[in-house]
Amino acid sequence: MIRGTILGEVWAARRSRGLDGRKLVLVAARDANGAATGRVVVAVDTLDARAGEDVTVAFGSGARNVLRPGAENRDLLCDAAVAAIVEGAG
Amino acid sequence: MFLGRVAGTVWSTVKWPETRGLKLLLVRPYRLGDLAPGVLKAGAEASEPTDDLVVCADTLDAGPGDDVLVAFGHAARVAVTEKLPPGTKPNVPIDAAVVAVVDRVEIDPEARG
Repeated sequence: MIRGTILGEVWAARRSRGLDGRKLVLVAARDANGAATGRVVVAVDTLDARAGEDVTVAFGSGARNVLRPGAENRDLLCDAAVAAIVEGAG
Repeated sequence: MFLGRVAGTVWSTVKWPETRGLKLLLVRPYRLGDLAPGVLKAGAEASEPTDDLVVCADTLDAGPGDDVLVAFGHAARVAVTEKLPPGTKPNVPIDAAVVAVVDRVEIDPEARG
């Protein structure tokens, strides 16, 4: 997973069927010191995260488990998902 | 996933049969400096494109100049597979695919990366 800050939202009408209805957010990754690394990822958001909020983003099967936990989620199209809204980090 | 701009296309004739008919695009990932200029301190990060180009399968008919979302890994294989019977895994030998053609990106100027 990574920690990052929500920059905003991405809008796309033409999208793969598996992404239908999903809210997509831009997340700027932060390093161990809290500084932006320059890397930006796009994640599916089910937690209604807002711009400026710090979040964690899970990748791979961890991301699919955010949308639907369990073994039978291999049909999902999701490789990155907001897993938590961060309140503090030290 | 990442947001990128289609920079070109790739052709090939010698390839695995599962990839036949799949269009391949070259996509350059956006970095923070491209999307939100001034967020990074001067000298902290080059805002010029420094990332490697990513070769992506495309089933959404994107073309050079389009902004796209690209998914990696299993999600990419799901995206290019028409029908996936329950309990099966897609067997196409790719690991990146275009999953959306972007219309608009909304960035909150108050949000600091």
